[in-house]
Amino acid sequence: MELLQLGAKFGIYAVMAAILVFALGVVTFRNLFHCALCLAAALIGTAGIYIALQAEFLAGVQILLYVGGVITLVVFAIMLTEHLAGKTVRQNNAQSLPAIVGLAGFVTALIALILKTPWPVTEAALKAKTSAMGLGEALMGTYVFPFEVISIVLLAALIGTVVIAKKDAPEERP
Amino acid sequence: MIFGAGVFKGMMVTLKNFLTSYYRDRDNGGIFTVQYPEEREKLAENYRNLPFLVYDGAPDQIRCVACGICERECPPKCIHIEMATDAAGKPARKPAVFDIDYSLCMNCGICEEVCPFDSIYMDHTFEITSQAGPRSLIRGKEALARSNDYFRKIRPAMAAAVDQKRKTAEDKKKAAATPPPPQEIK
Amino acid sequence: MENIGSFIDMIFVTAKAWILALLGQFLPVWIVVLASIVISGVAILCLGPVIMMYLTLLERKVIGRIQNRYGPNRVGIWGLLQPIADGIKMFTKEDIVPANADKLIHLLAPIMTVVPALMIFVVVPFGRQMTAADLNIGFLYFIAVSSITILPIFMASWSSRNKYSLLGGMRTAAQLISYEVPMTLAAVPAIMMSQSLSTNTIVLTQAGSFGLNWFIFTPWGIVGFIVFFLCATAECNRPPFDLPEAESELVAGFHTEYSGMKFALFYMAEYMNAFTLCGIAATLFLGGWQGPFLPSWVWFFGKTLALICIMIWFRGTFPRFRVDHLMAFAWKFLLPLTLVNILLTALWQFTSASAAWLFSIMILAAMLYMLVKLNRVFVPEKRNYVLAD
Repeated sequence: MELLQLGAKFGIYAVMAAILVFALGVVTFRNLFHCALCLAAALIGTAGIYIALQAEFLAGVQILLYVGGVITLVVFAIMLTEHLAGKTVRQNNAQSLPAIVGLAGFVTALIALILKTPWPVTEAALKAKTSAMGLGEALMGTYVFPFEVISIVLLAALIGTVVIAKKDAPEERP
Repeated sequence: MIFGAGVFKGMMVTLKNFLTSYYRDRDNGGIFTVQYPEEREKLAENYRNLPFLVYDGAPDQIRCVACGICERECPPKCIHIEMATDAAGKPARKPAVFDIDYSLCMNCGICEEVCPFDSIYMDHTFEITSQAGPRSLIRGKEALARSNDYFRKIRPAMAAAVDQKRKTAEDKKKAAATPPPPQEIK
Repeated sequence: MENIGSFIDMIFVTAKAWILALLGQFLPVWIVVLASIVISGVAILCLGPVIMMYLTLLERKVIGRIQNRYGPNRVGIWGLLQPIADGIKMFTKEDIVPANADKLIHLLAPIMTVVPALMIFVVVPFGRQMTAADLNIGFLYFIAVSSITILPIFMASWSSRNKYSLLGGMRTAAQLISYEVPMTLAAVPAIMMSQSLSTNTIVLTQAGSFGLNWFIFTPWGIVGFIVFFLCATAECNRPPFDLPEAESELVAGFHTEYSGMKFALFYMAEYMNAFTLCGIAATLFLGGWQGPFLPSWVWFFGKTLALICIMIWFRGTFPRFRVDHLMAFAWKFLLPLTLVNILLTALWQFTSASAAWLFSIMILAAMLYMLVKLNRVFVPEKRNYVLAD
């Protein structure tokens, strides 16, 4: 059993390392399609970490929405912009140095925050299991207001796309 | 008209075909596949494929007289004839060599039509595949010879007509051989 | 009699438990845990390809009969060895990679296609206690994993550097995204009624007396099942929804540039997807392995095979959809129908049985009538030819 747990531990670290490698790939590859595939791999790896943290529902939603939805749309966009698909694109410009400085500050602040926070692990939280019923009750009870707000935002976006995509009525031909 | 009725109609058609394929025979909407090496379709009488030489009696008595008309008329030039010579060195009225290259023959049947001696006819055979290269499909005189009985078997109507024609010709010849009653000729 | 029945019912479960008990006598616990995973995994890894091989044979036979001819019947009795002959042929064929192809992605795509197809098998309940992993998010897992299948198809179509492939990939993306929405929504009623995402629990709630309390015997179940099954047919790119690989238009769509075993892998993924989608459809609406008298796994495989035969029947019957019809069918017909169906299920839950039947049928009939009327194809009396004059 100890051996299995050790293996699982190494597995998680391997997944984390793979996520980092793929994330690096996203920002360094010259070919946009390769970047998108790396992004997909990194997102699947993230789902793997969720599973390791026993958040299966989150992992499923992560794969469904990010890999199945967002990445597909990204790849679709890349394929539609034909001249980008084959060519190599420079991924950095003259602003990379200030960006690195800013990012370094952000990461330091983030790490400081993470180290300062006391992560409480209670017995009740460990035992709690997400079920479809519990999630539904949470969405329809405790979090009904944010849920409805987000649906209104999505509805607005939907109507907006329809308005943009709609062709104007063609003029009557004489 | 109910929505989706056409869909069900189409599906019923295919279902009917599926089911009838198990119990109907091929002329009534069953399976029409002929399982070739085991079963064969009956060939039509006038099916023609690859010429052969007809003989009466013994296999070396082919009707061919090596006139060479078919050799000349053959569009792909797949026939090769050499006339035989008798002991005296005079040309005999039969072929010494009669080769047909089956790999060149295009089954047009012109040889059959032009032959004045009813000796070359189109066969019903088609399984002549060979892996030994193009020259392996050249058939000699012996390989081409088929009996008149075989001809009657594969193409009965045609063979009967030919036999009738040859018989009348024979009769006429016989009649010509016997001296006709003398007539007054001015 | 009772004992023999339950023995045959549980034969695979008992066999696995027996092997594990045997191993447990002289091996440490962690090896037994690993062995438990390995046994299930190996069973699935063997089952997937075998199912694919014999589904191709079944399809060719049935399509043959529909077209009034025998299918393959030369290799072995009734052509039963035909899939093996095909496999040998595929293995010995030359593997051709186009000169301009993206070699790595071109190689990865067929491998990646098979992975999600095999992964779905994990949550399919093959029989009583015969789910490889009874995840509590079973159905979500199925939807998530089957949504990945778009990605390898994209990889294949893009890396081939071929216009036909690219067009096929585009069509696949559009089609799969569109049909995933009504498919998920069509399954929602079944999840609502069983109050669980676990495939095993969904099957268990359909037990009833004689194991015949299937969801399909309710109005929302029928509608949900039909919509789900149509979407499943579209999801695995089978005719009449086979636009991504339309032979007559796109050569072979995304797998135009593949040959040999790589092509066979695409084929394998397609058939395994067809099997798992039919299995999930049977699980959600036809009661999964529930059924009287026969062993549970016989019921499951029987229902799944029946659904696959219907898919093959579709293929033998219908011509291919036109692209705009395909999209309109998903968004304008199936999607509203599933939304109404979800509301109907809620209504069903909170009203008494006889009134619910009346209400449901009335609402469904009205909805169908409205949708058909709204979706009527507009045919102008006089056509306006822009380029003619």
